[in-house]
Amino acid sequence: MAYTQDIPQPTRDVVLNLPCPSFETAPFVAGLPLAQRRVAIVSSAALIRRGDKPFPFGSGECRQIAADTPPNDLLISHVSTNFDRSGWQRDINVVFPIERLRELAAAGVIGGVADTHYTVMGSTDPAEMEEAVAQIAGQLRQERIDSVLLSPV
Amino acid sequence: MCALAHKLEEQGFATVALASIRVQAERTRPPRALWTAAPMGRPVGEPSDAAFQTRVLTAALRLLERTDGPVILEDFPEIPPGLTDTPDWVAPALPLPGRYGLMENWRTELQAAMPLWHTAQARFGRTSVGLSGTEPSSWADFFVSILAGELPVLANLDTTALSVRFVCDDVKAFYGEVAQAVGPKPSAMQVDTWFWRQTVAGDVLRAIRAAAMASENNALKTVGGRFFVPAPWVA
Repeated sequence: MAYTQDIPQPTRDVVLNLPCPSFETAPFVAGLPLAQRRVAIVSSAALIRRGDKPFPFGSGECRQIAADTPPNDLLISHVSTNFDRSGWQRDINVVFPIERLRELAAAGVIGGVADTHYTVMGSTDPAEMEEAVAQIAGQLRQERIDSVLLSPV
Repeated sequence: MCALAHKLEEQGFATVALASIRVQAERTRPPRALWTAAPMGRPVGEPSDAAFQTRVLTAALRLLERTDGPVILEDFPEIPPGLTDTPDWVAPALPLPGRYGLMENWRTELQAAMPLWHTAQARFGRTSVGLSGTEPSSWADFFVSILAGELPVLANLDTTALSVRFVCDDVKAFYGEVAQAVGPKPSAMQVDTWFWRQTVAGDVLRAIRAAAMASENNALKTVGGRFFVPAPWVA
């Protein structure tokens, strides 16, 4: 569980001692009111389309997920055994909340939802993801997306 | 993920990260993050509870409007219902292990679980089984070959290590769906405890892990030791 005392050992020590990168800068982008924001999801679950090759271990790649991908076509290929999959097995929105974002857009809480979303292998060293970041940024600009929801497993 | 938030913000996009492990968010200091008490693997909180998910997402997205950053880390105040066990959940009724060997017992259990798996697919409109590209009816034979020291490689997967890993993932997904096919929603821990302590399949995956770790195939040895069975359930 995400209360650290509830995470069973030895997983707890592994999770709590994962190396965390530090940064010299502290970027912070201001923007429009939420009702005008257009939002994309980035998931660390290494999601694939059914039939595609799973993410290789340590892969720094990013794959795109079309917003209209049928839920039955999405699979988690993340390598870790440390996180729960039973929630995902029941409901993709606990990992990839596309239906909830659509509802928030329809209700006017956010301005819109991207046509394209993104997924990476969360256990990969962020230093290996420079190209992935550039790819994501390029597509976000093309679709005029200004805000990103990061959904880590 | 927090690092990715930092890099995207540098590129000019406003980001907000959901966070399961608070200490990681404290160390990585993404521009904006919302910690929730949900188990790892459920960043948006609670499956089959659209209202709860919407409250989590709204709280997270509202952080995009804040101007008192950089580095905003807030706690989502609600406890996900699924964090505690469901007393009314009943484990699937599968046959008790018979007097035959491990794999024969598993064939019996797997066959008995098939109707519930189909029920789960009808209930949830999908299946999360499929990484290996194989059918459940082929899994026992595949694992028998691994236990015999053979090194089969499945189509679309490059190595035996990956083939075994993704069949293991599919077995776990199959049973996770079977556990939720009918009745109330079990907690994540109830599903895990049932699978690893009460099913033949849990014993099979531990046997496959042991065989992999004894293999002379280094990739299988490494992957088997780390990625077939979660550490809390190895013994």
